Amino acid sequence: MINLYSYLGLSFVMFLSGIIVLVARKNIIAMLLGIELVLNAAGINFIAYTRFSNANLDGHIFTLFIIVVAAAEAAVGLAIAIRFFQIKETIHIDDAVTLQG
Amino acid sequence: MEYSICTIAPIVLLPFFAFVINAFIVKRFTNIAVAISCFSIFGSFLFAARIFNDFVFGVYSAGFHVHKVFTWFDISATGLPFKVDMGFYIDNMSATMLLMVTGVATLIHVFSTFYMHDDKRYGRFFVYLSLFTSAMLGLVLSDNLLSVFIFWELMGFCSYSLIGFYYEKEGAGDASIKAFMTTRVGDVFFLFGIVILWSVIGSVSFVEIYKAISAMKLQGLTVLGFPLATVAAASVFMGTVGKSAQVPLQVWLPDAMWGPTPCSALIHAATMVAAGVYLSLRMYPLMEAGHMMTVISYIGAITAFGAATIALIQTDIKAVLAFSTISQLGYMVMGIGVGAYNASFMHLITHAVFKACLFLAAGSVIHSLHDHHTHSHVQEMPRMGGLRKKLPFTFIAMMCCTLAIAGIPFFSGFVSKDRILGDALYMAMKHSSYIPVAVLGFGAALLTAFYMFRMMFLTFFGEPRDKELHDHCHHEHLSWNQNIPLLILTVFTLGGWYCGSIMGQPFGKIATERYEWFQTLIEKPDVAKFKDYYKDNLIGGKTRPSISTEKSVYDENGGLSEEQAHHVHHAHHLGAIFSVIIAFFGVFLAFLAYIRKAIDPGKIVNAFSGWSRALQNKYYFDHFYKKILIHKILLRLNNFLAWLDLGIYDRYVIDGTEKVNSYMFQFAKWFDNLWIDSILVDGTGASVRLFNVVLRTVQSGSIQFYFIVILAVLTGYIIAI
Amino acid sequence: MFLKFLFICSSLAVLFGSLMVACTKDIMHSCIYLFFCLLGVAGLYLTLNADFVAATQLVVYAGGIVILMVFATMLTGGSAFQAHNKFGFKKIPMMGSRETYIIGFISAFLFIAITFKLLLNLKEGLTPLSGQMPFETVRIIGHKLVTDHVLPFEISSVLLLGALVGAAMIARPRRG
Repeated sequence: MINLYSYLGLSFVMFLSGIIVLVARKNIIAMLLGIELVLNAAGINFIAYTRFSNANLDGHIFTLFIIVVAAAEAAVGLAIAIRFFQIKETIHIDDAVTLQG
Repeated sequence: MEYSICTIAPIVLLPFFAFVINAFIVKRFTNIAVAISCFSIFGSFLFAARIFNDFVFGVYSAGFHVHKVFTWFDISATGLPFKVDMGFYIDNMSATMLLMVTGVATLIHVFSTFYMHDDKRYGRFFVYLSLFTSAMLGLVLSDNLLSVFIFWELMGFCSYSLIGFYYEKEGAGDASIKAFMTTRVGDVFFLFGIVILWSVIGSVSFVEIYKAISAMKLQGLTVLGFPLATVAAASVFMGTVGKSAQVPLQVWLPDAMWGPTPCSALIHAATMVAAGVYLSLRMYPLMEAGHMMTVISYIGAITAFGAATIALIQTDIKAVLAFSTISQLGYMVMGIGVGAYNASFMHLITHAVFKACLFLAAGSVIHSLHDHHTHSHVQEMPRMGGLRKKLPFTFIAMMCCTLAIAGIPFFSGFVSKDRILGDALYMAMKHSSYIPVAVLGFGAALLTAFYMFRMMFLTFFGEPRDKELHDHCHHEHLSWNQNIPLLILTVFTLGGWYCGSIMGQPFGKIATERYEWFQTLIEKPDVAKFKDYYKDNLIGGKTRPSISTEKSVYDENGGLSEEQAHHVHHAHHLGAIFSVIIAFFGVFLAFLAYIRKAIDPGKIVNAFSGWSRALQNKYYFDHFYKKILIHKILLRLNNFLAWLDLGIYDRYVIDGTEKVNSYMFQFAKWFDNLWIDSILVDGTGASVRLFNVVLRTVQSGSIQFYFIVILAVLTGYIIAI
Repeated sequence: MFLKFLFICSSLAVLFGSLMVACTKDIMHSCIYLFFCLLGVAGLYLTLNADFVAATQLVVYAGGIVILMVFATMLTGGSAFQAHNKFGFKKIPMMGSRETYIIGFISAFLFIAITFKLLLNLKEGLTPLSGQMPFETVRIIGHKLVTDHVLPFEISSVLLLGALVGAAMIARPRRG
């Protein structure tokens, strides 16, 4: 039986993976992957609620915007990662301590 | 005609804004800064010309003035009757003065673009020029002594920075400090005078002072046993003595030639020294009320004669001009003293024009004489000579000015100086106490003619004495910004501009209704007229004619009775004849000495070696100030104060309190150790350290730790709901 | 039936992919697993009648962003280059320390469990609103984008432009 909770459960697992990636991995690009996971989990929720709760398709539009924002974020984040690598010769997150004070 | 603030304020504000803007942009955009300076001063010249046109060419009568004020501060609520109004006061005299200052300053600005062009601080010079001019214009427009004093000090600062413009040279730095400190002596007296007047009258406005004088408010009051009016007048006059370089504070002006030549032109002609005489003219009723006239005339006469004698033996072309300035200023002050009010003012104007021209011409000469050995410009006259053919245009300009300053008829100097001398002669015929004044005045006229022509002959005539220098001197390449100012100033050294009688009928209205415009339009402030006086508010408000609206027709006798007038005319005719004879005699002597070589100046110098040494040392004024005043008195005072400080204050006051302190100290130590150190200080430290440990853990800078914290907070939040 | 099959395949891809993204050592492998995961998400969208969003997901995410990630990984030296690890095990250099993993799991699990508990209290939404759900979503989305949601739409265009220019500016090698 496919109902709302199966989708929500899937998105939770995805979200959890994203959080774990964000918290545990030390590579900046890997952390960006985690962010993508988190965003997609949110997107699944939007679509699922549209399907099961109300059908006015605003959730779809939100998901589209999420994709847009994710694309922008990925572009800028990766640019920063590459730049950081050019300067520091590494993309280890613990090396990004210049602003730590 | 209405005068709003918009037509008056730009005169002073334009150069001031130029100064403010240029102070910021001058390093990067030197040429733009120079252009801003020149155009702003020209703009204020246009505004001044408009006011001059209205005032002098016949819209108003002689007594008319515009007076616009706003209250600057008012502490009368405290029970003290002090209220200071700031404002503009324009009458015929200030209108003329404004035109002269802006006009001469414009021409000096233009000349400076030529003269200073290769200087490494080209732009900065214009910054100072703008501020200097705006300060002078502010002074001329001021309606009270306090704002006069403010602008007065501003000018003191500008002269300081301009005289020390070449601060790499040690002499320039010393000269600038000397100028600043010497004028400061006068300024202290001036401030003292302002305070006295303020405490008695409750206002420092010119008009209020005139009113108080006419109401005899100063009568009967004394300060330290002296009449108050005399003390006030003497103090204010000391300001003039300092600023206008009168005896005994004349020592700074000769050293002022350390500055660049255009700045000398500005200081000697339009701004600095003119301010002192202008102040005395404004305060003329006070000087009269204080019975200062005899003293003033003596100081002026001594200055005029003494400076002229020193100028006789100077070899530096600028030094001759500097001493001639002191001498001419002596004439002006003498003119105030003998009651020649408008002649004195006229001499101020004519002198400004021809002295500016002389300095600019001297600048041209110096600029063209470049010594290739020392890489400097030559100012020494013994190395010049025969420059007439090399610099024909400069020669003509300088010749006209020399004729003017020597008092040759048909030139401006004759018109004004002759009147001062005529009045001095009249006073001498009336009171025997004025005889020395007249004698010194005429003597100075003779010397003036002599040393000025000596300068001309040494510079432009004869054979070149330094052949190499002469050959190197490049021919005049008539650049416009060098020669147009000279040309204009030269034109205005002609006498006709200043007296309607010589040129015939120069300006329609002046010729028909007013015989000589200077004499009819510039009149002594008649204090009686100020009794029922009102002033306009600065913002808005219509300017009504304030005192007498009727046209003043030229009064042949100048308000004197028939018999007095006869004497005055007689004295004037006599004075004119004398001064012409004396001037020509002086020129003739110079001709004999330096062209014909019939008289050998060297022999005369040797014959009067004592005198000439005194002249070389400028009558030992500098020595006196340095050796006696500074070393003997001021340094001793200094040592005495140091002894007072170390021997008395340190020993008894400070050491005595030490005993008390030591007891206090014991208690304080105990208190400190227990309470402050161990509880407050260490306690604070410990608590800070505690927080530090916590906060350092939290503020790890690790973004992943932050994520964990965020998650924990979110979880807690969700549990809470 | 087909819908159920698609759902099972997609959910398996999503579960497997996302967990493997978290747990793989090699960053390049992570990217590949992310690709599978995103494909699964697109499948899920299809089961939810969101055909347009699914297509966008495929094009933008699977086609664009993952490729970008792969390129970035390669440009930064791939997995071999960042072999040092400050805190964690020397043997699995790509991963964080054991402690961070534990904390991550615990906090994420707590968060999710509590949220789940809240959501399970909801009684609605157990059956799909099949009757009201429009079959063809593109037309409606397009209409909504230029009417109701025109402002976010325009702003997102500016955002994209800014991101593009910004990314180019940041990644540009400095001269001098």
